[in-house]
Amino acid sequence: MIGLQHYLIVSAALFSLGMLGILTRRNAVNVLMGVELVLNSANLNLVAFSRFGSGNLQGQLFAVFVIVIAAAEVAVALAIVLTLYRLRRTSNLDEADILRG
Amino acid sequence: MSAEAVVFYVFGAITVLSGAVVVLARSLIYSAFALLFTFFGVAGLYVLLGADFLAATQLLIYVGGILVLLLFGVMLTHKLYDLDLRSEVTQFAPGIIVASGLFVILIAVAVRTQWTAGPGRPPSVTTAEVGRLFMGQYLLPFEAASILLLVALMGAAMIVRRKKAA
Amino acid sequence: MGSVPDVLTSMKRFEPALILTGAILLVVLVDATGARWRDVAGRILTVGGLLLALVRSVELRGVSAEIFGGMAIVDPLGSFFQALLIAASLLIVLAFTFRNSRELHGLGQGEFYALLLAVTLSNVLLATANDLAMLYLALEMVSITSYVMVAYMKGDRMSNEASLKYILFGAVSTGAMLYGLSLLYGLTGTTSVPAIRNALAAGIADANPLAISTIALLVFSGFGFKTATVPFHFWCPDVYQGAPTPVTAFLSVAPKAAGFAIMTRFFYTGLAAPRTGPWDLAGTIDWVHVLMVISVLSMTVGNVAALTQTNMKRLLAYSSIAHAGYIMMGVVALSQNGARALMIYLLAYLVMNLGAFLVVTLIHLHDGTFDLRDYPGLYRRSPFLTLAMAVFLLSLMGIPPLVGFMGKLYVFAAIVERGRSYFWYAAVGAVNAAIAAYYYARVLKTMIIDNPAAEKPPFRLALADATWVWILLLGNVLPLLWWARIDGWARSSLSLYAGPPS
Repeated sequence: MIGLQHYLIVSAALFSLGMLGILTRRNAVNVLMGVELVLNSANLNLVAFSRFGSGNLQGQLFAVFVIVIAAAEVAVALAIVLTLYRLRRTSNLDEADILRG
Repeated sequence: MSAEAVVFYVFGAITVLSGAVVVLARSLIYSAFALLFTFFGVAGLYVLLGADFLAATQLLIYVGGILVLLLFGVMLTHKLYDLDLRSEVTQFAPGIIVASGLFVILIAVAVRTQWTAGPGRPPSVTTAEVGRLFMGQYLLPFEAASILLLVALMGAAMIVRRKKAA
Repeated sequence: MGSVPDVLTSMKRFEPALILTGAILLVVLVDATGARWRDVAGRILTVGGLLLALVRSVELRGVSAEIFGGMAIVDPLGSFFQALLIAASLLIVLAFTFRNSRELHGLGQGEFYALLLAVTLSNVLLATANDLAMLYLALEMVSITSYVMVAYMKGDRMSNEASLKYILFGAVSTGAMLYGLSLLYGLTGTTSVPAIRNALAAGIADANPLAISTIALLVFSGFGFKTATVPFHFWCPDVYQGAPTPVTAFLSVAPKAAGFAIMTRFFYTGLAAPRTGPWDLAGTIDWVHVLMVISVLSMTVGNVAALTQTNMKRLLAYSSIAHAGYIMMGVVALSQNGARALMIYLLAYLVMNLGAFLVVTLIHLHDGTFDLRDYPGLYRRSPFLTLAMAVFLLSLMGIPPLVGFMGKLYVFAAIVERGRSYFWYAAVGAVNAAIAAYYYARVLKTMIIDNPAAEKPPFRLALADATWVWILLLGNVLPLLWWARIDGWARSSLSLYAGPPS
């Protein structure tokens, strides 16, 4: 029987993978992909809890808003990355280092 | 094994394995396409959980919108002949340690906690109900999200637009 | 819930946000016309909209109710923060203009005003959020509009790099926070904050300490990011340095205040069971000490790092990290007095920090530099500006009778009255204030005593600029005369709407 915990384990794996990507990747677009994995894992949680626990649709509605927010965030992030590329011909985070104290 | 279990394991494996490819692949293009499979796997899990509207939304927006945008981002930030598209990885060890630590903690939380014991919601058609909620209880976030999209659209366009003579 | 009558009543109580929304749409439309007068019209619309919203939010003070089906809440605390946040935006628009900010010269004005109105609206929504979905949505709205504002100087590498670091760091922190919120939903079965509090108080929290700690830490990553406390402060110096200074000034006060507002609401109505004295967090692992450690680290890291800074924007960035640490003392106190201290400190912080940034902007306008090493001799060249800066820096230091002193007084008092075990914490705060005094004084010394390498001509401030410097200066000095009123206002704003009777 597939229960709540099966889904939670999948989402925990996604979250950890996303964090791994964020921590180790040097390309900005790759870090964004890691963020998307994290957001998807949280969404999976919300839907799973909606299904197995409370029985209300609040989790699913919350997840819809997360998807909307993720879209807006990616749009702005890519605009910034594109500008970075235009100014410096790189999207490598290591080379974004002129701000130093 | 019941049919539900088989489907769950298939989609679960698709999701997690392609997630691993996203994070570990050498080439950006491989990561992007693996991300496609991850989104697809998550959508399948949504269907299994009875969130049909959400699954459709996931496919439309994540795959049809966000992933396409990410691919544009990948393509536009490399010279066209630079098909290598290699993505460097720095200092793998601390990342792996932190990520595994997080994984262990979250599994412990998932398994040891008494999650809310409610009636649950057996899979059913959700679209009508979701629509009613958008116009009812969730009206404020719905409208606020539309302002967010307007501002994000305007902002992203403004950042990327090249300066022209005033 | 969510029926038409409910929506109509809610809209009446929601006027400030509606006014701001209308202003955003009008500014965007006006800017799209491409007419010659669109910049002036945009500015008038923005100032008018903010003023109107401020007036309405003050008028709505007595109301206490849930609106829009429980998604948002109107209560005295919310009204206080609404007024504070709208006032902050208003000051930014009025004092920092496209004329006196060299960095913004030549950039589009209409979009800036629309963004500023949008971030104000988002701040207001954040301060009044009553549901996890609304909380996350509002937080992301604030963040995304801030990212765009930081990237405003499109052709400038530092602005671009700052916004990149900001957005990546922010996305990660809020992603972690979202995961925590999802677990909270699973634990309590609802996304409504009052209902969560009831569920936690009823014993769920005691039964699941590991889950509660994980949730709280994950959720705090989002709050910590917004308020720039350690260990989520790494973005702060780079972003403050790279962003256009008016945006930096805005970021240092408004999203920070909104972050503290939601932190207060979340901890006090979400996790705590309020009583009139010290409030206890529902069965959690020793939260108070975790918050204390975060606060101490913020103060120390901020102050120590500021000691060696020569770039004024970075110096003020580290200073604001330290001040976030002091403000957190109000959260740690977990009492009515603590919440009141937090509110007073934020009010004081608004006028002193904006004043400091305005002076930095004006110096940049005339001299083209943010480097402290170019500041010697300013006293002879513009005594008024140097004097004003002295007032702002002394206020930041916490010297009486300036408003900054009152802020520190309140937080220290709130901590000390919690008992002996908190004394060491107050002592650390005092030591930090002393360390901070050093680098604030160093700025003053450079401006007043040091001799410049080459003599530069004196400069006169434009009348508008001088006026706003005066206004902020008086804002630091005069409040003491009406202190009873201000204290009374803060006191009466302290009632948090605790949800419908259950």
